[in-house]
Amino acid sequence: MPKFPSVEWFDAVREIVNSDEAFRRLGTVDTTVGVKVGEELFQLDFEAFECTGAREIQESDLRDVDFWLEQSPEDWKEMLDIIQKNGAADLQHTLNTIDLTQPEGFARSYDGYRRDAFYRFNQSLQHFFDASAKVKME
Amino acid sequence: MADEPAAPAVEVSPELAARAKAAGWPEDLIVEALEGGANPDDLVRFMTMGVTPEQARQAIQARGGPGPGGQAGPELDLAWMNVHTEWGTRAKPTNKGLTLEAINIGIYGEVPDRWEYQTEMPRGAIAIAGVEGMGYSVYEKQELWADNAAALYEEAIQRRWRPATDIPWESIEPLPDDIERAICQICTHFSEKAQLEADILSKWEPELSYGYHEIKLYLATTIFEGARHAEVFRKRALSNGGGLGIQSPGWGFRSVTDARNFTEMIMIQMVLQDSFTLVQYQYGEAFAHNQAEKEIFRLAIQDKARHVAYGIAHVKYVLLHRSERRPELYRYLDKGETMLVSDDRDTATREAFAILLGGGKDNIQEGLKKYEELRRRQVQQYLERLSWATIDRKERLNPALRAYVETPEEAATT
Repeated sequence: MPKFPSVEWFDAVREIVNSDEAFRRLGTVDTTVGVKVGEELFQLDFEAFECTGAREIQESDLRDVDFWLEQSPEDWKEMLDIIQKNGAADLQHTLNTIDLTQPEGFARSYDGYRRDAFYRFNQSLQHFFDASAKVKME
Repeated sequence: MADEPAAPAVEVSPELAARAKAAGWPEDLIVEALEGGANPDDLVRFMTMGVTPEQARQAIQARGGPGPGGQAGPELDLAWMNVHTEWGTRAKPTNKGLTLEAINIGIYGEVPDRWEYQTEMPRGAIAIAGVEGMGYSVYEKQELWADNAAALYEEAIQRRWRPATDIPWESIEPLPDDIERAICQICTHFSEKAQLEADILSKWEPELSYGYHEIKLYLATTIFEGARHAEVFRKRALSNGGGLGIQSPGWGFRSVTDARNFTEMIMIQMVLQDSFTLVQYQYGEAFAHNQAEKEIFRLAIQDKARHVAYGIAHVKYVLLHRSERRPELYRYLDKGETMLVSDDRDTATREAFAILLGGGKDNIQEGLKKYEELRRRQVQQYLERLSWATIDRKERLNPALRAYVETPEEAATT
């Protein structure tokens, strides 16, 4: 049972969505996404119809991603607990909703154009995190 | 008897002779064709089709006379088979399939700074003389180009969706009357805006010359997306016991409909208006009351973000290649922002948003505060996108918009 956050956890979700026809039907996704949980940072690579990789990165690497998702570890836990419980995010915990409730935003970037990948692929990114409901967590 | 001319092997009926005379076909040609086995009815048909005597004679000669079937066929040229385009091209599919970018190889991938042809000739084909012009008005690459257009086209095609079946309409349940009225008013506004965008973009499609097919194709997807948004918001308004609200005053629309060149239209529609609409969609998603509205807005957000991506990339391309146009582009934004600010007089949409964001008519004051926050995000995102396109807009921003992003110190000095 992988713990969140870890490469193992992201790999488990990757495996689910990469074999999920519903994820493929949402269309191509081309973006690099950072995930920041407290001091821990990860990069997710999406290309064509798959999430092609997950790895740990450093703070300085955030300049190379299109955008990164950042909230407190407690807020991450709350979001993922709800997904585990409901099978998907509830109305108050979608990625976009969280983005609007965080003063600094949930999706952050150094680049006003690249940040828009958060919007262009929003449904696929939501599907990715919703798929974590199928990952048994510690 | 040896001096007598040989009797013709075939007979030309009076009716056929009369038709031939009317069509300008000499009798010896008719005889030659009939001797070769041509059917008189076919000859009449060719005359009716306007085949000239010379064309008919060439066809007979090319075939060594009418063929075994006894029909005079059309002339075979086959010169097109020796056309000097780049031959031997083998585009390879990528992990996203055979994309527009994958076929942009060799001369077919060379996008000229100016397209010299007024016809519908595809880029990379060979022009022929005598083809009528199509009446395009945009022939320069800098007038329409964006480097991301081909990728955005593929993305739009891959990520298309169907309002009728992709939205979980059954998740919609009765809402308090004030909330339902607010949502219906907002949907009326979005549906109206989307239809207008489709209309405007449709008008510009035939203005763009054929050499820049990436842009024409991408624009076609935005037209369809306008139609899709007009459809889905209308459907939401009519699906839960409500109905349509009142129409928009349309001040903001005018700056788009009045645009006189393509870049002006793109700046006002896709950089300014769509950027602001994108944030409204974000709030629509965040304050949705059911899964259907969540999905509607999330999917619409994706489409709208592509429009913004094309618009801002086009602006950047113009400024990188025609820097002298910078003041001109600023004026378009001046005009567009002024008209957009005028839209704030559209109390129906603002109040409907305030009711939605506040959670009801009784909380409309709280909702108005949230609407101000929505406005701040609109301005902030707009400025960040312009910054990427090398436009530092904050100082020149319309004062009514600048107020949303000024620090107290900045506000004190303005």
